[in-house]
Amino acid sequence: MKKEYVTFVRRLRDLNEGKEVLFIKDLTPGPRKYDTKLVRANLSRQADKFPDGDVLWIRSETGYLHAEPWAIKVIEELPPYVPGQPWQDLFVAMKQL
Amino acid sequence: MAFNDLREYIAAIEKSGDLVRVKREVDWDMELGAISRRNFEQSGPALLFEKIKDYSSEYKILNGPVATWRRVAIAMGLSPDTSVREIYAAYEQRRDKKIAPTVVQSAPCQENVMTGSQIDIYKLPAPMVHDGDGGRYIATWDIIVTKDPEADWTNWGMYRFMTHTQNMVTGWPQATSQLALMMKEKYLPRKKPMPVAIVIGCEPLCHMVATDPYRPGENEADYAGGLRGASVELIQCKTQDLMVPAQAEIVIEGEVLPDRIALDGPFGEYPGYRSGTMGEGVLVQITGITHRKDPILTLTTLGVPPDDSSIAASLTAGVAMKRGLKRRGIPVKEVYVPPAGVTHLIVVSVERGGNRVARQVLDYFTARRVMVSKVIVVDSDIDAFDMDQVTHAFATKCHPGRGITVEHYEGRANALTPCYDADERRKLNGASVVFDATWPDDWEPEGIPVKSSFATTYPEAIKQKVLAQWQSYGLGAKR
Repeated sequence: MKKEYVTFVRRLRDLNEGKEVLFIKDLTPGPRKYDTKLVRANLSRQADKFPDGDVLWIRSETGYLHAEPWAIKVIEELPPYVPGQPWQDLFVAMKQL
Repeated sequence: MAFNDLREYIAAIEKSGDLVRVKREVDWDMELGAISRRNFEQSGPALLFEKIKDYSSEYKILNGPVATWRRVAIAMGLSPDTSVREIYAAYEQRRDKKIAPTVVQSAPCQENVMTGSQIDIYKLPAPMVHDGDGGRYIATWDIIVTKDPEADWTNWGMYRFMTHTQNMVTGWPQATSQLALMMKEKYLPRKKPMPVAIVIGCEPLCHMVATDPYRPGENEADYAGGLRGASVELIQCKTQDLMVPAQAEIVIEGEVLPDRIALDGPFGEYPGYRSGTMGEGVLVQITGITHRKDPILTLTTLGVPPDDSSIAASLTAGVAMKRGLKRRGIPVKEVYVPPAGVTHLIVVSVERGGNRVARQVLDYFTARRVMVSKVIVVDSDIDAFDMDQVTHAFATKCHPGRGITVEHYEGRANALTPCYDADERRKLNGASVVFDATWPDDWEPEGIPVKSSFATTYPEAIKQKVLAQWQSYGLGAKR
């Protein structure tokens, strides 16, 4: 069974198909729901793109939920942080990874 | 009399009928938030959730410790029916008193200790407060303790923090906050992590002091003692060089990292919107978690007013603003922060009005970081606490051309103000406006419109006669 994750972007247009580094939150029910991982993953707008992949829901910076989920195939899990200074724009810092 | 801890306060508001225990199981994943939000919007009682899904019954959540004026009054040791004006007066009278804290060697907040590999934030029932939040906000009604490494300054503030991983939380003290000031001036230049303690579940006055904008360098623990009329007991953290309230329910000890960041937000914040503050916060590495037996996590399900933030900040910010305006020599009579205005709208009554005084008021509010966007200045005959009177004065006395002054600024605006666009919020660019609802000071008295009210438009003899005979007109008891 596919797992489900959610990620946050400022705007949907900021998210690209193909290889991306992004924070994802695990939506598996239970006391560890919403645990966060930083991953390198393949993304696709086509929900059935990766037969062995998972489901990625996308929310904007205001929490707006986009109706159609994407497909995600995690390539590797990274340490759950990005090099950068407090109050720095996280999404700009992530571009350096 | 001061409450020793949150549990004594809970007993008091239960006795007064201001607390309901929710005994059936509630899901921490939005159900608890939805109940709490609807209850806030009905100005309901504080809610003590006693059975939380996925967690044993030893863990509880208290939503809304001071979300009504009744509960604020009880927290201050006043009668529950004390008026808002009287609560303001009592707070103003106590605000500058200091009682030094007392250091203790053992404390309830350290009855249970997690360090090293035992640390697991998910052992605590952090709620998913609103649908669409960036994560589980474990710290909403909290005290965030940080210390200046060079001076005798331990700061208490109230900022949001959410779970990130088992041993990390992320948070968003505004970039203009005192926590940010301390980090940027004292730790970042040395590339050092800043010790931090996230304190949850103290008696309410300690938390209210954390919302009060005392100046940088002031130790809020002293003022909490003054406000309570009793010294606050502090204890040394287990893993950080910080002192925290000994009677707290939960303490998360850690370090704000100087060189690593992660996702915080978005979150449905105190102005009543989730307006897009995300990904510009801080990352905390947890080094220890301590808590009492059967810990109670305090929560405020922020959103449209009223809630703990809009009520507590009405009081603490209002009294602090009055003090600040007086210091500037402005002839202020009263300041009221209507909870519905979520500290964006302020009412200032002045003994002497006019455009120049209104401008001075605006200058005060825009001098440094700016959290206020709209100020209504009224004459002293208006009861600043009566929004019907204020609205009438605003509608009739504020000149649509001459009575409105706007000040624009950059780099110090409130990033949570919903009317700012995304670019303004990110750059902290904004504007504030003063509405001068006072009579111009250069108008001749005989030309000033006369208010047509019972109190202002009849001779004293007529008023006395009418009042004395009120019942005889068939109009009920004399009022």
